[in-house]
Amino acid sequence: MENKTFPATLDSLDDLRDLVREKALLAHLDKKKTYNLMLALDEIATNIILYGYEQAGKEGVLDVITDLSDRQLTIVVEDDAAPFDPLQRDLPDEDDFSKPLEERPIGGMGIFLTINGVDEFRYEYTHNRNRNIFIMNVPATEA
Amino acid sequence: MNVTSKTVGNITVIEAEGSIDSKTAGEFERGAMGPIQGQTAVILDISKVDFLSSAGLRVLLMIYRQIKSRNGKVVLLGASEEIQDIMANTGFLSFFILVDTLDEGIAALKP
Repeated sequence: MENKTFPATLDSLDDLRDLVREKALLAHLDKKKTYNLMLALDEIATNIILYGYEQAGKEGVLDVITDLSDRQLTIVVEDDAAPFDPLQRDLPDEDDFSKPLEERPIGGMGIFLTINGVDEFRYEYTHNRNRNIFIMNVPATEA
Repeated sequence: MNVTSKTVGNITVIEAEGSIDSKTAGEFERGAMGPIQGQTAVILDISKVDFLSSAGLRVLLMIYRQIKSRNGKVVLLGASEEIQDIMANTGFLSFFILVDTLDEGIAALKP
């Protein structure tokens, strides 16, 4: 288990992607899964930074806890912004995605991509902190 | 990230490079929306874009709407497999003409 702290600013998105890339490499995730995990973290971190902190006029941090077992790569993002459960947000559905782009609602796309991009996504609020949990199954190593 | 633009005949080519996230999407937007004003044939070269978040998709949507309002066409050049995947998952892909080379893009926009 490893813990890294990032300032809750958009400048951290680059560093956050680097961290995810490094962990995904250790977990032997393929290119597509690595990309999807980077995207998922990016989308959720962006929401926390822009809406949890900046819009609320707060400064703070994102704590990123990574844990790699032989079966799963788990990344947890913790923050001190107001409770926000991404899973409670209305997400675009098939109907929306089949609309012409001219009429398309754009909100919720980031969360949609997050949930669809990882093997498991969970949200908890504990000890006054939001915890967004991203889990990727690790490919079985050849014997 | 970096955005440059040029014209090839009557086609506007926008070349983006780097990562397009919430921090850089504004730059992408400014770099693209200016040069496409009044244009109907646009090639967006994203072959050097290694990451595109929903903030970047939002800019693609703006570009598309702008060009579409003049009955124009937008060609997407060199989108990585990963970017094509997320565009497919969000129903974006079918609205753009996808090509691998500039020549193919130019051919696709010939009237």
